[in-house]
Amino acid sequence: MVPRALCFVLVALFLMGSSAFAQSDSLTRRLEAAVKLWDRGERDAANREFQSFIDIYNARADRLSSAQFVAVARAVTYLGVDDPQLFKDALKAYDRAIAGDPDNVDARARLGELFTLKYNGTEAKRTLSEALAKDPKNVAALVADARRRDFDNERGADSVLAMGLEQEPENVSARALRAQFRADVEDFTGAAQEAERALRADAQSGEALAIRAALYRIASDSVGYAEMRRRYSAAYPREAGLLIATANMLSRVRQYAQAAAVAREGTQVDPKSWRAHAMLGSNLMRLGDIPAARASLETAFKGDPYDLWTKNTLDLLDTFGEYEVTNTEKFRFMIEKAESGVLSLYLKEILEKAYVTFQKRYQFTPSGQVRVEVFRSHADFSVRTVGLAGLGALGVSFGNVIAFDSPAAKDAGSFNWASTAWHELAHTFTLGASDMRVPRWLSEGLSVYEERRGRPGWGQNVSPDFLKAFEEKKLVPASRLNDGFVRPAYPQQVMHSYYQASLLCEMIARDVGEPALAQMLAAYRDGQSTPQIVLRVLKMDMATLDTRFVAFMRERFGRAMTATRDKDVAVEQYLPADQLVARADLRAGNYWMQVAVGRALIQRREHAKAIPILERARAQFPDYGGADGAYPALVRARQANGDLRGAATTLGIAAELGDMPYELHITLTDLWLEVGDTTKAAEALEGAMYMNPFSIAQHERLAELFTRTGDKRRAVRERMAVVALNPVDIAEAQFRLAIAHREAGDEGNAKRSLLRALEVAPHFERAQELLLTIVEKKP
Amino acid sequence: MISSRLSALGVRALLLGLLAAAGDASAQTRLIIVSGLGGAPKYTKEFSDLANTMANAARERAGLPDSSIAWYGDPAAAKSTWYRGPSLKDTLEGVFLRQASRPASEQLVLVLIGHGSGEGEETRISMPGPDLSAKDFRRILAGFGSRRVAFVNLTSASGDMMDLLAAPGRVVITATKSAFERNETKFGEFFITAFARDGADTDKDNRVSLLEAFAFAEIETKRLYENDSRMLTEHAQMADASGVARQFFLTPGAMRSTAGSRLTALYSDRFALDSQIQVLRKKKATMSDDAYLAELERLLVPLAQKAREIRQLETGK
Repeated sequence: MVPRALCFVLVALFLMGSSAFAQSDSLTRRLEAAVKLWDRGERDAANREFQSFIDIYNARADRLSSAQFVAVARAVTYLGVDDPQLFKDALKAYDRAIAGDPDNVDARARLGELFTLKYNGTEAKRTLSEALAKDPKNVAALVADARRRDFDNERGADSVLAMGLEQEPENVSARALRAQFRADVEDFTGAAQEAERALRADAQSGEALAIRAALYRIASDSVGYAEMRRRYSAAYPREAGLLIATANMLSRVRQYAQAAAVAREGTQVDPKSWRAHAMLGSNLMRLGDIPAARASLETAFKGDPYDLWTKNTLDLLDTFGEYEVTNTEKFRFMIEKAESGVLSLYLKEILEKAYVTFQKRYQFTPSGQVRVEVFRSHADFSVRTVGLAGLGALGVSFGNVIAFDSPAAKDAGSFNWASTAWHELAHTFTLGASDMRVPRWLSEGLSVYEERRGRPGWGQNVSPDFLKAFEEKKLVPASRLNDGFVRPAYPQQVMHSYYQASLLCEMIARDVGEPALAQMLAAYRDGQSTPQIVLRVLKMDMATLDTRFVAFMRERFGRAMTATRDKDVAVEQYLPADQLVARADLRAGNYWMQVAVGRALIQRREHAKAIPILERARAQFPDYGGADGAYPALVRARQANGDLRGAATTLGIAAELGDMPYELHITLTDLWLEVGDTTKAAEALEGAMYMNPFSIAQHERLAELFTRTGDKRRAVRERMAVVALNPVDIAEAQFRLAIAHREAGDEGNAKRSLLRALEVAPHFERAQELLLTIVEKKP
Repeated sequence: MISSRLSALGVRALLLGLLAAAGDASAQTRLIIVSGLGGAPKYTKEFSDLANTMANAARERAGLPDSSIAWYGDPAAAKSTWYRGPSLKDTLEGVFLRQASRPASEQLVLVLIGHGSGEGEETRISMPGPDLSAKDFRRILAGFGSRRVAFVNLTSASGDMMDLLAAPGRVVITATKSAFERNETKFGEFFITAFARDGADTDKDNRVSLLEAFAFAEIETKRLYENDSRMLTEHAQMADASGVARQFFLTPGAMRSTAGSRLTALYSDRFALDSQIQVLRKKKATMSDDAYLAELERLLVPLAQKAREIRQLETGK
């Protein structure tokens, strides 16, 4: 098709007296006829008709009514499939329609839809607000606004849609959209009911057929899916809408390979479905097939340059040249060059261990290498994950592809990047073992549970606000745990759900046995539902599961719940020490009172008196290592009281409870060194590396500690980390690495390191001497 | 930014360079540290600590006698061995006048620590009383003629001084690239650390040159900001039109006499090997890692053997 702009005046003049123009009062009917041609797959004929609308506009724009401008705009929108620049002309026609009749709410609603379609949420919001200001009950505007809110991830999409359905309960678009919303929160039964209702209202509705088909597909109902496809293909033989909806739904339930296959089919049915190309590209990205993904995304972007997701992802792909790719038998690492050296040293070790652990535990082996992408920019990670910046998560697993923030993506030391990697790799196994069918609650629960088992101090642990939420019955019952992730009822619910799910896994492992967790995954793989699995594997019904979990919580945290229930405590700092102690004794069962009094006593330098009170608090809630809890104060009190070993032991326990800031790991190292425990100091410092691996000085220190403890392998690793961080004195770093290699019995690498040291500083005397020692020793 | 670097040297040039260094071996270095007005106890202490660290490093690590080190500082600061008086403009004018009349063989290292402000010729370091500006320093340094001078301004907003004070034979270092980088700088701390601790002597000749100290401080400053996830708000720069920074030490290393045929031959062999290593380095990108290391070993082993023999002959050990 030859693109034609609205300003093509000569053509317009030629058409001045055409029958098309003479029939301008029936433009809308003409448009509907052209749309039918389009739907039937007669696109050339349809396009010829749509193009005539441009000519009409150019010839008689000053005489068209508002409704006729809308018809022109709609026609031009169709033409925009071939020439994306024409969308701008569609906007102009809508503007003329609105200028001609400011009360034309239909024009505003359609314009709002177009803005949403072209990823311009801001303009869509403005336009739809204006439409709804004119007519708050306009169903088309309400549906468009619900769609726009969903696009913008803005609250209120459900309620706006409900208002539309209140006005017109059988509105097909509204019902189909509600079906989509229900599916988004994994209420597939509700979604199917909505889709069925839409189809009862209009058996030929493309959007209703599409969403119903998608729902059949994810329910593995091949008969239902085939029937929907047959009906859709009959009505819309060259449309990819059904396949796009299906691919989208499959992608949402993490069936990326199937999603890619369906999207590919969409590109074959309609090669100009840029959305299908984009959908194919994004799913190939998730499958780790980067070259093919790029090709699809480039096709999509060429056809639809407004697509932000695709543009962002292509921009991200352009940066992949700055990454270094390294391979092991099990992994393919992609890490930014600047930090690849140091991070891959650790990641190879950590993930290798995780892989072997999970392989055994879940009886599953990923096919081929697992692709591990580490992003130095959180925005890049976010684009990699969802196509847009602003994602709150630190990591993601698409199955055989995992991606996460590098420790440099956030403030150094602010999160545990190693446990994040461990967490994401656990998903690879739980997703794989269930053939991607594991529900989110179980996959997340197992990942957090595995983090805690991976290393003391890793993974989420209990907090007072979690216990409070439990006591206030805010946590969802164990049987509906997925709702906590997909339909959070309060801001912290998602985070609480992660921990709650991990506790549920812990309870299952304890009460039913560790193998039950793998058996559950296998049952999901076989297509069983959660109630079936709970009954068959856990030998209980869902109601019993709920009761058991509540009992487990009470058993595990009952004392802590009682002790932390009342946080409303006040302590007068000026009171004499004995009176402070009396206050604590008076409310001996209140955790917060013990902590407050303990802190007040520390302020008064009454450390000896503070210790038993803080110990009392610790005994009440031993699992809580947070900054406002007993541990930090107890460490300070013991330290000030001269009990450095006690302080180190207490801080060590806090470290094992997790979420301890980087600086405190360093403090713990210092404390163990002060009491002469090199082994524990090394262990503490290694813990710090999992939060911030970028300090050369700390790596040097850890290398020395490992040398002292005789851990030659890890001494080498630390010396390699120093080299990888490219210190100013690289010759010295290489020299020390050479010594570490030599001490570990590896003279070959020792020599290589010496040569690299001397390459920089050829007259480096100590390195020269060691080189001679090595080469002269050889026969 | 480094405005000028020494180009790679061939054997002949390297030999000449080393002989030139040997020629400077008898030269004296004068280190004058000027710390400005702190304005608050925190800064007064910080500036005096930096001044004393620098002075101590010069004595303990570079071997400068106390008599060659002078610190002029905020009268409110705690005094030390090297404190020679308040950093008043008049006092310093006199000091520089006397220094300018010292023998031409003496080299001067002037280190400024403190708060900086202004721009262009009016770039200044805050002093107790009237400040010293770029214009003042241009006049003062002119009095040193062709003598080797290192002017190191570690204050904030010091950048404009570089172009104004750059001259042949003179090394000028500023902690910032312009007058608009007014935040407290970290470069100075790392620059002084380069002399005070291990880590900056990258060529392992047991001395830290101005070029090494600059590179160390520049890299460590950048690393600090990156580790703190902050945008770099200071960009140090160096003017070294004559390329002397590489061989500008607090104490020039003494070349031992090469009299005696065996030593002369050994040094000659050593220089030849040095030259071959430099040539090989340039080919690195075109070679496989294994081939490069093998070739490097072929040169480095005899170099190490020559060095060992030289040491034995020179020290008798």
